[in-house]
Amino acid sequence: MSTNIDHVDDRDRRRYLKTLAALGVVGTTGIAGCLDEESGSDGGGETLEVVHGWNSGDGKAALEALQAAFEDEHSDVSSEFNGAGGDANAELNTVIANRLQNNDLMGSFANWPGNHLERYKGSLMDVEGAVWDEAGLKDTIHDATVEQCRFNDKMPGVPIGSHRLNNLFYNVHVFEEAGVDPNSLDSVDALISAFETINQNTDAAPMTQAMSGPWTNLQLFVQVLTSQSGVEAYTNFIEGNPDGNALRSALEATKTILENHINGDASTLSMTEANDKIINGSAGCVHQGNWLYGAYRNSDQVEYQTDWDWIPFPGTEGIYFFHLDSFLAPADNPTPDLTEQWLRFVGTKKAQIAFNEKKGSVPIRNDVDASKLPEFLQLMYDDLHSAEELPPTLAHGLAVTPQQLTACEEAIRVNFMGPYNVEAAASDLESAVSN
Amino acid sequence: MATHESTGESVAETVGWRTKLRYVLNGDLVRSLPFWGVPFVIMGIAVYGGIGYNIAISLTDTAGIGAVDWSSLDLEMYRQALAAPAVHRAALNTFVLLVAFTSISLVLGLFLAILLDRQFRFKEQVQMIYLLPMSLSFVVTAKLWVWMYNAESGVINVTLGLFGIGPIDFLGDPSYSLGAIVLALIWQFSGYTMIVYLAGLQSIPGSQFEAAQIDGASTVRIYLRVIIPQLKAASVSAAVVLMVFALKAFTFLYALTGGYTPPKGTDILATLMMREAFSNVQWAYGAAIATMLLIMALGVISPYLYYQYRQGSL
Repeated sequence: MSTNIDHVDDRDRRRYLKTLAALGVVGTTGIAGCLDEESGSDGGGETLEVVHGWNSGDGKAALEALQAAFEDEHSDVSSEFNGAGGDANAELNTVIANRLQNNDLMGSFANWPGNHLERYKGSLMDVEGAVWDEAGLKDTIHDATVEQCRFNDKMPGVPIGSHRLNNLFYNVHVFEEAGVDPNSLDSVDALISAFETINQNTDAAPMTQAMSGPWTNLQLFVQVLTSQSGVEAYTNFIEGNPDGNALRSALEATKTILENHINGDASTLSMTEANDKIINGSAGCVHQGNWLYGAYRNSDQVEYQTDWDWIPFPGTEGIYFFHLDSFLAPADNPTPDLTEQWLRFVGTKKAQIAFNEKKGSVPIRNDVDASKLPEFLQLMYDDLHSAEELPPTLAHGLAVTPQQLTACEEAIRVNFMGPYNVEAAASDLESAVSN
Repeated sequence: MATHESTGESVAETVGWRTKLRYVLNGDLVRSLPFWGVPFVIMGIAVYGGIGYNIAISLTDTAGIGAVDWSSLDLEMYRQALAAPAVHRAALNTFVLLVAFTSISLVLGLFLAILLDRQFRFKEQVQMIYLLPMSLSFVVTAKLWVWMYNAESGVINVTLGLFGIGPIDFLGDPSYSLGAIVLALIWQFSGYTMIVYLAGLQSIPGSQFEAAQIDGASTVRIYLRVIIPQLKAASVSAAVVLMVFALKAFTFLYALTGGYTPPKGTDILATLMMREAFSNVQWAYGAAIATMLLIMALGVISPYLYYQYRQGSL
């Protein structure tokens, strides 16, 4: 009797299992089918897909403003804005490289122009005629920017805004307490002696630096090099003819700063965390791109000029270290007409003001009414358009190819993140740019 | 079915194709197909197909975006990688991480398991506390340890400061950074080793302790000669899992810095591979590094497979 029951049970169980297996097969096929459908949805009504990396904070607000402006202007166009990964461009770059390599193309994507485009060489669309000429952008967009958007004899995208890199943001109270006059800081030597004063007279760290990645030290070294030896020394460096003495002298000064005058916990801090020390007054100043402006604006603790203020990085007055964000178009993308329409829109005043006002960067058109921008950005806008020299940034892709940039970061990471080895860093940097 | 087999071919000739079909369809192979077939296809394409394609790419010179040029296949990328100091550093770090993390986790796990292998109050709760870090994601633990390692306000340096030591820049100073990463990983995984050993210990009958005691063996001798030798299987399986986690330390390092460049002195093959493939779009070179990492992983896993095979469980 009992064996009989067992037998029945066994058969029952098998039937369940069979059903389960069948469901599994159906389910897997179904999922595979859905995935397939999703990736191949470009047929039928066209949708413009724009991929970007602005997923939080100012970047997100700026992108949403830009998207709203576009939908307002082109209500007939169906568009989809997809964020890739976190905030770091590393994630966005990975996604874009993967999708382009796998021929899974989008209408347009956000990325740095300039030499950074070496990554996508041969796979970008030329929009010079249909966007730049048709919308007359070459006359209205800043000249140096137009140059940065030309690569490999093509113009594959349109810039949306610019950040300035050679800034020194400082906490007004710390500088006052120490008795440092920011306007007297006109060289790296003056900066270092101001740091010594801050060290003596206050409890604050003279400068706050984030060293969880090597790019901040690379950036600081570039500022010191330009401050000491001029834009020409920097230009020679990025073009592959570095002046060894200038490099070593800049690295020496950078080493002095990093060894003696920064926060002790730099190695564990991200850029945002390091900047919090300016906001809460535990550090005197920070060198960083003016994307930090967004953090000050969003903080209830500090006000422009009463609590935080800004000077050009000492010794770089009249120079605007140039960072650019842009939207690019991949070749053979599924929606070339919509892509051109989108890029023409990116070049308009409406788009540039909507985006930059929120992002804390400045429009790169010549004819924007600056009074529509917040006070600090008006200053930056005027600086951009009156700058005597506009060297491209190194750590943000414009100046050198991605491979050279990785090699420069590696040179800093291995030799210049503490302990600081000037000689090894200099020779690694030299070989990084010369191949 | 039995009748068919016993009567042989003459019957097979006379039965119709329907019967034959039913015979085939009722076979074990076909009936079990839905169970192993689907995973087999998915694994085949996703894992082994991926490995095969990676090796194929590593033989080309693919870089940048565009079609792969299959015309010249050689080992040039491996030659370049083997000559690069960055690869040597990363391989050494990977190896040190693997060995230090695995061996210390095993010893610590065994120690904790022996401590817990006795009856006391709140035993389950204490076990839970040790196991808990394992349930946390690398993203969480990496951020947690970054805060704890902070040279100014981190809890570790504050504690050391009470004894007049430090502050030590754990992640910034290359003489500590790899050790700091290994310590964080040990913290996360020694609880797992403890559970594996504890299961092994609890399956050893108490009579063996008694017998050894009657024979006059000291406690240390009982453990060294009687108990620990019986934990060989547990050690091997725990070691393999730990080594695989060590090779996956990429996630931890990525979460630590938010990028592909980990702190100085902690660059491993996985982070180097990501930088080459995705920051520099040097696909072939990155693929070559990936293959070297795979060989390293196989080197780790194959003694285990051989051991299992000799035990007759494979």
